[in-house]
Amino acid sequence: MIKVDNLIKEFGGARILRGISFDVQERQVLGIIGASGSGKSTVLRCLNGLERIDGGVIDCDGVRLESGLSQSEYQKRVRVLRRKVGTVFQHLHLFPHLSALGNVAEAPVQVLREPRRGALKKAYELLEVVGLAHAAERYPDSLSGGEQQRVAIARALAMRPRVILFDEPTSALDPRRTNEMRALLRRFSEEGHTLAVVSHSINFITGLADQLLYMENGEVVEFGDAEQLLKDPHETRTRDFLQQAR
Amino acid sequence: MTRAFRFNKVSRRFHTTPRRFRLTLRLVAACACLLISLSSASAQQPLRWGADPSGGAPYVYADPAHPDTYIGYEKEMMDALAAAMDRRPEFVPTDWETIVSALQRGAFDVVVNGLEPTEDRARQILFSKPYYVFKLQLTVRRNEARINSLEDCRKRMVGTLSNTAASRLMEKQGIPFRGYADPVGAYRDLELGRIDAVLMDVPMEQFYARSNAKLKPAGEPFYKGVYVVGLRKGDERLKAQVDAGIDKIVSDGSLEAILRKWNLWNDAQVELRAASKQGSDEGQSVKFEMTSSTFNWREAILRLTRAAGVTIAIAFGSMFIALALGLLLALGQWKGARWLRFICTVYVEFFRGTPVLVQLLFLYFGLPVVGITMPNWLTALVGLGLNYAAYESQVYRASLEAVPKGQWEAAYSLGMTSVLAFRRIIFPQAFRIALPPMTNDFVSLFKDTSVAFAISVWELATAYREMANASGEFLLLGAIVSAFYLAMSLPLAHLARKLEARMNRQRAVLAVESEVAA
Repeated sequence: MIKVDNLIKEFGGARILRGISFDVQERQVLGIIGASGSGKSTVLRCLNGLERIDGGVIDCDGVRLESGLSQSEYQKRVRVLRRKVGTVFQHLHLFPHLSALGNVAEAPVQVLREPRRGALKKAYELLEVVGLAHAAERYPDSLSGGEQQRVAIARALAMRPRVILFDEPTSALDPRRTNEMRALLRRFSEEGHTLAVVSHSINFITGLADQLLYMENGEVVEFGDAEQLLKDPHETRTRDFLQQAR
Repeated sequence: MTRAFRFNKVSRRFHTTPRRFRLTLRLVAACACLLISLSSASAQQPLRWGADPSGGAPYVYADPAHPDTYIGYEKEMMDALAAAMDRRPEFVPTDWETIVSALQRGAFDVVVNGLEPTEDRARQILFSKPYYVFKLQLTVRRNEARINSLEDCRKRMVGTLSNTAASRLMEKQGIPFRGYADPVGAYRDLELGRIDAVLMDVPMEQFYARSNAKLKPAGEPFYKGVYVVGLRKGDERLKAQVDAGIDKIVSDGSLEAILRKWNLWNDAQVELRAASKQGSDEGQSVKFEMTSSTFNWREAILRLTRAAGVTIAIAFGSMFIALALGLLLALGQWKGARWLRFICTVYVEFFRGTPVLVQLLFLYFGLPVVGITMPNWLTALVGLGLNYAAYESQVYRASLEAVPKGQWEAAYSLGMTSVLAFRRIIFPQAFRIALPPMTNDFVSLFKDTSVAFAISVWELATAYREMANASGEFLLLGAIVSAFYLAMSLPLAHLARKLEARMNRQRAVLAVESEVAA
């Protein structure tokens, strides 16, 4: 479903990502772990087209991004890509002027041109899925951090993406909520979504990710089966990180 | 162009002495004055006389050839009159519209500025004997066929000076007129077609309009009024001296010589000589028409209400322009290409960095040169709109930048185009942020409409100035006008506070709700 080959991203001459490669099968959950500043979030931002890549190839459900494309062609492909990829940001970025329901229904109505009534009904159902139907009419700043996050998830789901990207989904959650979140994401993957989850919490990733990618300084240190990597990593650097993180 | 030409003609006519000789003469005169004033300061008391020299020809005006000296027939008459009174003339430049109150405040001793005796002025100041008999002349454009007399102007707009015999006459007869601060502006607007006719005292008409090929007189001069010297109430002794002085310069022919020199002598002036020969008091043996405008409070409030309507219309119209144009400017400055950003920045800096008064005058008098002529109310509306657009663009820009970048990214990753993201996500948030400062700007725009008086728009400030100057009721009218302004701006200020409070309260209530829910 996602195939990334030798991905390079630079910011003002500094190389943030230096040749990242990995691939994710359909319905699989990819966990991306690593210390702050290792480039985890930048990988996600390249995957949904918020950053233009400077080298390598991203292939996501048949949409191919390459650094050599013209600006207009790149933007055209990014627009197609974004129909397939949904994002739940670390800081959520809910629309403060819209209610929870409005946040979820806005894109289907405006982008997919769905009739308003139908879109609202579906948005309500999505809020039920994330357990927030009772707060549909409330505005984001009246919701708690966990509730806001569930609105953000419902908002991403409303566009029926095949791939959903999560950036640090547990940063605002207590342990109980963290377990609920893991179960919710697991359910999405069982329902057919492909997920990429950036997290620094080994605890959260364990039992969620099918595959794991450990990054350090913009490079892939180790990539492979999650269970195997967590239990018995090949690289000493991975082992050190896992020990410190636990 | 034509005006400058006429000035040259005038100066050529009256300054035939060689330049160097004149200079020497002036030096000698200055030294003599100095000596005299040093030696006999008490004997030659100054006689300070006030007049408006801007557009003041042929009464008193800055000599185009020597802008630091004043000339005019009244200037020469005052030299003669002061000499007859054994006083030293001292000219105090002032403003026509406020001339009576300036006299009362003691800015000068007498008003000599083609002042007509009127009933309401008589309540405020003393009048001397008349020194000149004038008539009124109606002027129209050369190609005008419909207007032959003032009676034909019932449904048209006639320009004149504010607070003159001409304006009072039209007020009395119910002819729509617009008051100007100087004759130049009135005749220029007539040329440009902003008004249909100009009614002015013959001396001014003769100087400013007679030789203009685009204009022509409509009908014969009519009406008869006199010019007098205005004095403070209680200054009876000075009045007696001025009257005696006028008698003297009338009977010894020196006034006639001056008037002939300025081409202002006519048979009507003979009546004055007859009057002064009889030695009759106050020239009352000669019957002159005395214009009057008794102050009518009901009418005053009606006119102020109408003026307030103009103020409201200008404020709303220009705010609309400011909001629409300001948004475009903000977008251009924010997301536009380099050249567009540059143009928008130049626009904003220009309109913020120059006084709105100068901008209005430029639009009103400057644009007609390139063929764009707008009526004065529209000029004010557009001018204030253009000016405030510069300010509103900065409010917009700050508000747009206050919307976090993450909002764009969230919208983009939901598949929105930048236009859609702006319209549905960014602008609604920015507008909420911008609303309170914009409402405040609207309040100050309401007050700023008062600069429109500079181009004779009959809005509240102009109405106050004209009516208060005419009646002397500065205090009461000022209170009423302030009440009008407050009645308009207070609800707006209240609205601004409410909006701000609502935004804050919404935050607070929702925060509390979330605490309870959690």
